[in-house]
Amino acid sequence: MIGFLRLMVFWAVFAAVAYWALLIYSRSLRRETLEKQWDAAPPEDASPETRKAFIEQGMHAYEGSLRRKLLWGVIVLPFIAIGLLLYLVNYA
Amino acid sequence: MRYVKWAFWAVIFVILGSWLHYTLPQHDVVRIVGTYQERQDLNDWTSIFWSQPDDQAGTLVNRDVQFIQSIRTNGRPMVYRNEDTGWRWPPYFKFDTASLQTEADDLKSNAEAPKWAVVTHYGWRNELLSIFPNAVAVRPVEGPDVTIIPWFNIFFFVFLGLVTLLLWRMWAQFRERTIDPALTDAGEVWESVDARADAARDRAKGFFGRISAWLATWRAKSRK
Repeated sequence: MIGFLRLMVFWAVFAAVAYWALLIYSRSLRRETLEKQWDAAPPEDASPETRKAFIEQGMHAYEGSLRRKLLWGVIVLPFIAIGLLLYLVNYA
Repeated sequence: MRYVKWAFWAVIFVILGSWLHYTLPQHDVVRIVGTYQERQDLNDWTSIFWSQPDDQAGTLVNRDVQFIQSIRTNGRPMVYRNEDTGWRWPPYFKFDTASLQTEADDLKSNAEAPKWAVVTHYGWRNELLSIFPNAVAVRPVEGPDVTIIPWFNIFFFVFLGLVTLLLWRMWAQFRERTIDPALTDAGEVWESVDARADAARDRAKGFFGRISAWLATWRAKSRK
C-alpha cells in the first residue's frame, strides 16, 4: 500500500503543477482574445479605463465558464486511465 | 561547435528512444514451451531491470522469480520473466503474476502440435546481463502470422505529440505575453540611461538567453 500512497503523492505534485501551468496558459489566451476583440472594434467612448473594464468583465465571465472547469480534467482523467489500465491488465 | 550540438541532441535522442523502447509494450507471437521459477540474486546494478516489490526487505539480495519459456515464430528462444509491477514504474499496474503464469501453463505446446500465443511485454532480453522482458499479458491466436496493431503505442505517440505541441504553444504564449514586453520595457529604460538595450537584446537570444534576460529584468533597476 506504501507504493499506492507514493504514486498518489507523486501524482498530486505533478497534477498541481500541470493544472497551474494550464490555468495560466488558458487565462492568457482568453485575455489576448478579449484584447483583440476590443482593439478590432472599439466603441465611441473608448478609453484605457473602459478597455480595462471590458477585459476584466470578460475575464470574470471566463472564471465561471465551462472551459475553465474542463481544466479539472487534467486531474481527473489520469485516475480514469489508471483504473482502466488496472482493469485491462489484470481482469480483462 | 556545431558537432557538439549535434552530438548533444543525438545523445538525448538515443537516451529517450531507448527509454521508450524499454518501457512501452511490445507484442511477440510465440509458442509457450514451459514455465519455471528460479531464485535470482539481485544484489548488483542489474537489479534496476527487475521489479522491486514493496514488501521486499531493503536488505534482501535474492528472491524467487517466475519465468515463461517460449519459441518465437523464427524458431529462436525467448524467455520472459513474470513479475508484478505493482504501483511502481513502469506504470502497468500488473498484479496478476500468478494468474498469468497459470494462463501460460495452459497454453503450453510442443513443436508437433503448436499453439500460438501473443505475449505482451516490456523490457529487453540480454544474455550478457541476464535480464529478461517482463510479460504483461498472454492471449491465444489462430496462427503464427497474425497481424497485431499496437493500439496503445499509436495512442501514446499521438498523445505525446499533442502534449509537445501544447508545451510549445504554452512557451510561445509565455514568451509573447510576458518575456518580450518585459524585455521591451527594459530596453526602453536602458536606452534612456545608456545604450545597453543592444547588449540586452544580444543576450536575449535562444531559449535560455531569453529566460535569463527575462530574469535579468527583475534585477535591472539595481544595476547601472
